[in-house]
Amino acid sequence: MENISHLAGRQWLSSQMDFSTKKGITKIKAIINDRCSRCNAKVWAKLPNGKRYCRECIGLGRVVEGDYLIRSGEKVNFPQTRNGGLTWDGKLTAQQEKIAKDLVQNYINKQNTLVHAVTGAGKTEMMFPLIAHCLAERKRCCIAAPRIDVVNELFSRLQMAFTKIRIGKYHGHEYREPGLEQLSICTTHQLLKFFHAFDLLIIDEADSFPYVQNPGLNFAANNALKNNGRMVYLTATPTKKLLKLVKIGKIQQLKLNRRFHGHLLPVPKEKLFLRPFLEGKRINPKLMQEISKVIKAKHPLLLFLPKIDLIKPYVSALKNEPEFKQVTIEGVHANDVQRIKKVDKFRRGQIQLLVTTTILERGVTFNHVWVIVVQADDKIYNTSSLVQIAGRVGRAKTDPTGLILFCYQKYTSSLRNAMKQIREMNK
Amino acid sequence: MKKCLLCGQYFISKMSFLHLFSLPQKNCKSICDHCLKKFIHIPEKHCPICSGNLNQNKICSDCVNWQKIYGEKLIINHSVYLYNRAFHDLMVNYKRYGDYVLYAALQELCAKELSEYKADVYVPVPTSSEHIAQRQFDTITALYGSLVPLTNVLGKKSGLGAQGEKNRAERLRSKQSFFVKKNFTINFQKCTVLLLDDIYTTGRTLYHARDALAKIFPNAKISSFTLCR
Repeated sequence: MENISHLAGRQWLSSQMDFSTKKGITKIKAIINDRCSRCNAKVWAKLPNGKRYCRECIGLGRVVEGDYLIRSGEKVNFPQTRNGGLTWDGKLTAQQEKIAKDLVQNYINKQNTLVHAVTGAGKTEMMFPLIAHCLAERKRCCIAAPRIDVVNELFSRLQMAFTKIRIGKYHGHEYREPGLEQLSICTTHQLLKFFHAFDLLIIDEADSFPYVQNPGLNFAANNALKNNGRMVYLTATPTKKLLKLVKIGKIQQLKLNRRFHGHLLPVPKEKLFLRPFLEGKRINPKLMQEISKVIKAKHPLLLFLPKIDLIKPYVSALKNEPEFKQVTIEGVHANDVQRIKKVDKFRRGQIQLLVTTTILERGVTFNHVWVIVVQADDKIYNTSSLVQIAGRVGRAKTDPTGLILFCYQKYTSSLRNAMKQIREMNK
Repeated sequence: MKKCLLCGQYFISKMSFLHLFSLPQKNCKSICDHCLKKFIHIPEKHCPICSGNLNQNKICSDCVNWQKIYGEKLIINHSVYLYNRAFHDLMVNYKRYGDYVLYAALQELCAKELSEYKADVYVPVPTSSEHIAQRQFDTITALYGSLVPLTNVLGKKSGLGAQGEKNRAERLRSKQSFFVKKNFTINFQKCTVLLLDDIYTTGRTLYHARDALAKIFPNAKISSFTLCR
């Protein structure tokens, strides 16, 4: 019989391969009470033969009524490593150190944790002792992040800190199936492939798309964790749902309201605009004033817009301004093929003004950058994205302050809450 | 409000005054405008034979090659959309992942165009029985079956692998795998036949299908229709 030990902690469909007779294997119906057993989505689509199937997680193989979900409960034996494989020699600040210690303690106490730390607090480094503790106990750990670029960045940072450990990296552009690494980093979607696999599961950016709007991914995360496993949520802007779990005592909240360099978060300025931001082909003169102040102060500027379609008209309007003749201006958005190149150019100072959508709201650091958010009252900006955008400013030790300007026409609750959160974290 | 079959967003389909004053009609929009914009129609200037891309020449390079094999007996093919990224993704979901309900979206995309090509008989290009068993539906029949009456005169030998998994050279080398079903009694001799397929890539599949039909019914007038080119 085929050896399937490489599938420990995994789940798959009986239509893909059926090992249900083997030891350590359990199986459940793929569709139970109109819901998909893998992603928990409501199942409605029907094949011509009348059998229902799940459209939500179809990319991982179609879940069809009558199929089974096969789960391997096999144990994996990981080798003993010194210090859990942690070779990092950096130092945590006193505040980071405290959180790191509490995290390890919560792990020992079998307590789930929410780390609420401001943008630029150094969350990843604070995880190192916890991960090392888990690995030293020969347990299995996974970090799930919402976006592929975040997974890639996390992977290289962790690989540098845990040089003695082989780390698995899995997302849709890797085109390979998860292996048996003791430490894995993956996109949240990959968690659908696991069942009771991890002793420690860290959810990075727990407030972010796609995790927050997709209940299926929460379901997957809970399934991927072992029965006595521990979950750690990382966020700068906890969702109401997470805070509720804190309130009822399911999760313990650890707060870190200082950046790693110890300075306060820069508090955004707000400005009411009565006229449109772009009238015909001209930028609103009041907005122009604000933009030109930043350019004159010689700070690189990120100008946030709510929609992709707006990037082009703004870029051309800005380029037409006589006073910006000498200024290099570019626009960038998710489908831009030159996206990575442009962001890199901006980072190196070859672009002074970068007009962008929310793709640059989180996970990126530009030294000395200042930020203006146009139409900050647009519904695409929720509290969390406004806080994240503001968090792009003042991240460097040498330049911890800077301008964040929210330009609005109608004050929204997201704006109010974002301001409130930032001020509270500064208390 | 309807939910887009492709992106899952809720949307409101456009209404016009005509809609308000005419009799209630079938309004089955299943694709939102945002997704719809991603599908590009075959441009005005296209290969008159296969609907493919034209450079300077009168016919496209694919058809030049087919001319070397078939001379004047080229198959006239009508396609509706360019096979771009968006269409590729849609077809991957429909065919590879087996998201059956997408047939409704695909129908909407080509119903009007298909109605412009009248024929006496409509013949779907068959899928191998292994593929049908795997998907639990026939992709071509599901797509065209409720738009035009289909005549399943062609069969396909099994065990030859999918065209979609081969590269261009392998596709072109693939051997005839279609046959006219034995107990077929309808006489096609003087009919106009429209072969139906989803994607025209190299043309290999459609030429094989045409050849199989023409062998038994040499006087039938055969052309083809595909969603993409």
